[in-house]
Amino acid sequence: MSDKKRVSRRQFLNYTLTGVGGFMAAGMLAPMVRFAIDPVLQTKEGGEMHSVASVDEITNEPTRVEWTIDQVDGWYESEVQKTAWVYRNEKDEIVALSPICTHLGCTVDWASNEEYPNQFYCPCHGGRYTKDGVNVKGTPPTAPLPVYEHKVEEGMLYLGEAQSRKGA
Amino acid sequence: MRWKENDIKQYLPEKEYIDTLLIPLIPFDPASDQMMGKQAFQKEINQIFTSLIEKEYRGRIFLAPEYYYISGAAETEVSRVNSWINQFKKQPFMHVFLFTFDAKWKKHEDELTGKLLWVPAIQSGNIQSTETQSFVKEQAGQISELIQAYW
Repeated sequence: MSDKKRVSRRQFLNYTLTGVGGFMAAGMLAPMVRFAIDPVLQTKEGGEMHSVASVDEITNEPTRVEWTIDQVDGWYESEVQKTAWVYRNEKDEIVALSPICTHLGCTVDWASNEEYPNQFYCPCHGGRYTKDGVNVKGTPPTAPLPVYEHKVEEGMLYLGEAQSRKGA
Repeated sequence: MRWKENDIKQYLPEKEYIDTLLIPLIPFDPASDQMMGKQAFQKEINQIFTSLIEKEYRGRIFLAPEYYYISGAAETEVSRVNSWINQFKKQPFMHVFLFTFDAKWKKHEDELTGKLLWVPAIQSGNIQSTETQSFVKEQAGQISELIQAYW
């Protein structure tokens, strides 16, 4: 029997107090830390990616793809149809553009106006965008078409959120 | 644009651009058991129709609140519709379209101060079915072409 290994009353109280104190401190700190890193943990609304088309169907010509997402709008949940113009650019990269005109929100069409066969055309006020979605100067829109974030997995194209871009 | 707070906020500073008004005319008659189902269905189709058009052309078309009336009384409704249009014309609307499935309006078309878009209705059916959906989409596309012809 070694007396050294025995825990004295003072030590015992010390250990217990440190333990309980630490526990309480942790209890107080945890929510604070949680609040501090909250923006990082927050999942973006509708942030997930949706499979919209098979990659080998995508050509150099912009084609319209459609998919639906569940959107929660404060009071009610609804199914919202989303659309994108998808094509491959000269560097063989996939580009997915939002069809929403940056002027007042109409839906733009690829090559729908005979005078501008290589541009996106907005039927509402004649807004035009070049193939990369940049607005043509002198037409009503002031910003390029937003670009969808995309990824390719197992031969399928996934689209996420549309990111707006700075004006030309 | 719709009759919603956020849309109105966007509308007011840009109103010169939104020069087209679309008013859905929706009949109903709660007194008649056999009409109710059909009319409710047509109201739903009407809303889908006008929302499709509004969604594609929201930068130029303003979708007015729906105009409801007791069915069968189109002749007495003409002046009320016209008073709606009069009020809306205090805003810079150049083109006013009235969208309806009710053929009774056709007879009074000349008295209306807006352009009547009468479309023969699907009588009844499943609103979720793909046939109904593609039919409505197809027709909505043609109606928008018709509207564009006036721009």
